[in-house]
Amino acid sequence: MPRILGVDIPNDKRTVISLRYIYGIGPFLSEQLCVRTGIDPDKRARDLTEDDLAKLASLLDNEYVVEGQLRRQVQQNIARLRDIGCYRGLRHRKGLPVRGQRTRTNARTRKGPRKTVAGKKGVKELR
Amino acid sequence: MGRSLKKPPYVVERLLEKVYRADSSGSREPIKTWARASTIVPEFVGKNFAVHNGRSFLKLYVTEDMVGHKFGEFAPTRTFKGHGGKASKAPKK
Repeated sequence: MPRILGVDIPNDKRTVISLRYIYGIGPFLSEQLCVRTGIDPDKRARDLTEDDLAKLASLLDNEYVVEGQLRRQVQQNIARLRDIGCYRGLRHRKGLPVRGQRTRTNARTRKGPRKTVAGKKGVKELR
Repeated sequence: MGRSLKKPPYVVERLLEKVYRADSSGSREPIKTWARASTIVPEFVGKNFAVHNGRSFLKLYVTEDMVGHKFGEFAPTRTFKGHGGKASKAPKK
């Protein structure tokens, strides 16, 4: 299986699809990469030549922020919000939704698994 | 939802005036403000403000990182003391 930028090993799907397994590459960028490198988007990823891979790698390296670098960038943005003590930073610190969603119910993605409180109304009925 | 880019940032002009006046008079006193919706512009960096949260004024020293945010983001309006237990029942008014 082909490797692009170190660890990423997209499988034997079409190139446009498998490129999206790289963190930071979505439908749009994947399409754009195929056009700019002149690779047939419908070609299976396993059929990519060394030359194709080199082209993709150099393009990604030079012009786009993906993978580790992108993850770091996102983390830095969050760290900045935390440091300046603004509302969004406080929400990040508390692990609650940041963009004004309701927290009376739902918000489980941010809050994690439910922590049932003993003696609270309704707990008995749940069992 | 972001603000349309064809508009300039929303800055309460009175606040800018106040900052300039404080600058020329050399006053280091925090500038009291209710203008929570005002964007923080580079002119405000390194100044002390006191932003109203509906009850009191919270001190805020503006740093470079805060530019582009609004004053209100730095003065939370809600108090949450936690759910249940003795600890939270005691301070209830």
